[in-house]
Amino acid sequence: MIPTVWLASYPKSGNTWFRILVANLWSKLDTPIDINQIHSTDSIASGRNPFDRQTLIDSALLTDDEIDRLRPAAYAYAAAGNTLADPDDPCFPVRFVKVHDAYTRNDLGEAVMGGAAGAAGAILFVRDPRDVAASFAHHMRCPIDVAIDRMADADFCFATATDRIDRQFRQRLLSWSGFMRSWLDQRDIPVHLVRYEDLLTDTAATASAALAFAGIAPDPVRLDQAIAFASIGELQRQEAQHGFREAPRDVRGFFRRGVAGGWRDELNPDQIARIERDHGPMMDRLGYDRSTATTEQRL
Amino acid sequence: MFSYRVSGLAVASEVDLPGLIPGDPDRAPEVTIRNAPVPCALDDAEMVGPTWQRAGDRFLLRVPDIARFLLEDGRSIAFEAENGADPQDVAVFLSGTVFGVLLHQRNQIVLHASAVLVGGRAVLFCGASGAGKSTLAAALGEHGYPLIADDQCAIEIGDDSIPMIQADGRQLRLWEKSISELGLAGRRGDAMRNRLLKFYVQPATASDRPVPIGAVYALTEIRDPEEPGIEQPNIVDATKLLAANAYRPMLIHRFAQRDVYFRGGTTIAATSGIFRLKRRLGFDGLPATIAMLRGHWAQIGLAEAAS
Repeated sequence: MIPTVWLASYPKSGNTWFRILVANLWSKLDTPIDINQIHSTDSIASGRNPFDRQTLIDSALLTDDEIDRLRPAAYAYAAAGNTLADPDDPCFPVRFVKVHDAYTRNDLGEAVMGGAAGAAGAILFVRDPRDVAASFAHHMRCPIDVAIDRMADADFCFATATDRIDRQFRQRLLSWSGFMRSWLDQRDIPVHLVRYEDLLTDTAATASAALAFAGIAPDPVRLDQAIAFASIGELQRQEAQHGFREAPRDVRGFFRRGVAGGWRDELNPDQIARIERDHGPMMDRLGYDRSTATTEQRL
Repeated sequence: MFSYRVSGLAVASEVDLPGLIPGDPDRAPEVTIRNAPVPCALDDAEMVGPTWQRAGDRFLLRVPDIARFLLEDGRSIAFEAENGADPQDVAVFLSGTVFGVLLHQRNQIVLHASAVLVGGRAVLFCGASGAGKSTLAAALGEHGYPLIADDQCAIEIGDDSIPMIQADGRQLRLWEKSISELGLAGRRGDAMRNRLLKFYVQPATASDRPVPIGAVYALTEIRDPEEPGIEQPNIVDATKLLAANAYRPMLIHRFAQRDVYFRGGTTIAATSGIFRLKRRLGFDGLPATIAMLRGHWAQIGLAEAAS
């Protein structure tokens, strides 16, 4: 049985980049894989279609809370290999599944992600929240201040519309800090932390460590090639040419800048101060320096 | 007893099932639905899923806090409500999900699709929940194409190798947003569940006889800058596409239906045509999609060229 490993992240923190990197690593082609054909990793855990297929139930007729009660069993079923075409001959060494849900419990007290039955572990991608804010605003087509509000909102969820169907289930993200805390502090499954900035600075070493956590020791030459095939330039080129199906509708430039520290020229001082005030303790915990720390102390 | 006709089958039910068309009470039922004790598990289950179990010709499905359903041999459905569930909620799952599983159990080809009548033939639109099947069928209804089925399409291939679809005459099932965008508030019926903004909607016109299939389209969403269009995959890919759009593809394996879908797929691809309809999702693009479809229907001989 191949292990299932969650790729957990608050949005815009390198999750998709890592998935494309892995897809290139496992590809047998000597050209970059099509970003719209990432078959080597499962689609997002909150996807409605896989759930309906496995449970047989028309989830469009269930409430969000009813769905959350069934999600643990659906994840455990998939983690047991039941969704693979041939469990004895899986095409890939690990079943990676992207997640934007915080690690929360349903109204029965069960971990929505299924606890230890849902996955063997999680790779948690984190990024400087000041960079997340600018990227998240672009992603949601809202002003940066609104993105900052949402990152501070403990009740923030994706896919909450009730007058239409969404292809994804409601996902509770909590606040940015709450998201990180929920995954870091849960004790059901081991977590490996990947900082976006480290993935940028030393992609090979950071990706190797994450893959080692998942039990994979990639060939260094193939890894270097996969890194080149998943470069921001290549991802932007493909998106410009064919679009990216995982991007929100009407958002151009899912692969926007791919840099660290962009907040210095994208955020105004008030915005920077607000994020550092909202998330200071978690920034400290994750090793992100606060630029306004001294100012706050003076006040 | 209530009598209905679902996907061509005579159904006798102890409970009222909103959204289905009435059947002939004098016709011997092929499927019976009754309120009876249903076990929580099957003793001799050989397959166990997150919400279901199979033991030979018995299939147990549980929708937690709604009901447990026991399907036997494709001919009878017993249900037991859980925790005092609203009978209307039980009925919604009976007439949708449970009946879809039953059609698989009966070894029928059943697609997750809506269908409308074009030039005397059925045109099917397949896709997962949220792909836009019902909205497209509803929009075509406003252009004078009668509704044949919504959500599930049971296909039969007769001795003459002509694929037919049993008219279902079901009502449309639309979300509030679609109803308002399409201007169908006047024909809006009851909510499917009292806590959901998804409603039964009376179609403009409906067809109630079995008709041959004219074309099957798999709905595919594209993003900018990809161009909308209609593609015809080769017969092998078309067959795979059909199986992927079964009502519940996993049941093809669980009920050993691979051959049925493979043979059905090759026949449908050869006689009716299986296509990929690539378009942007959203209400703004509906007129362009309908224009594209009309052009295609003229091209494949389903309808005269649009004037």
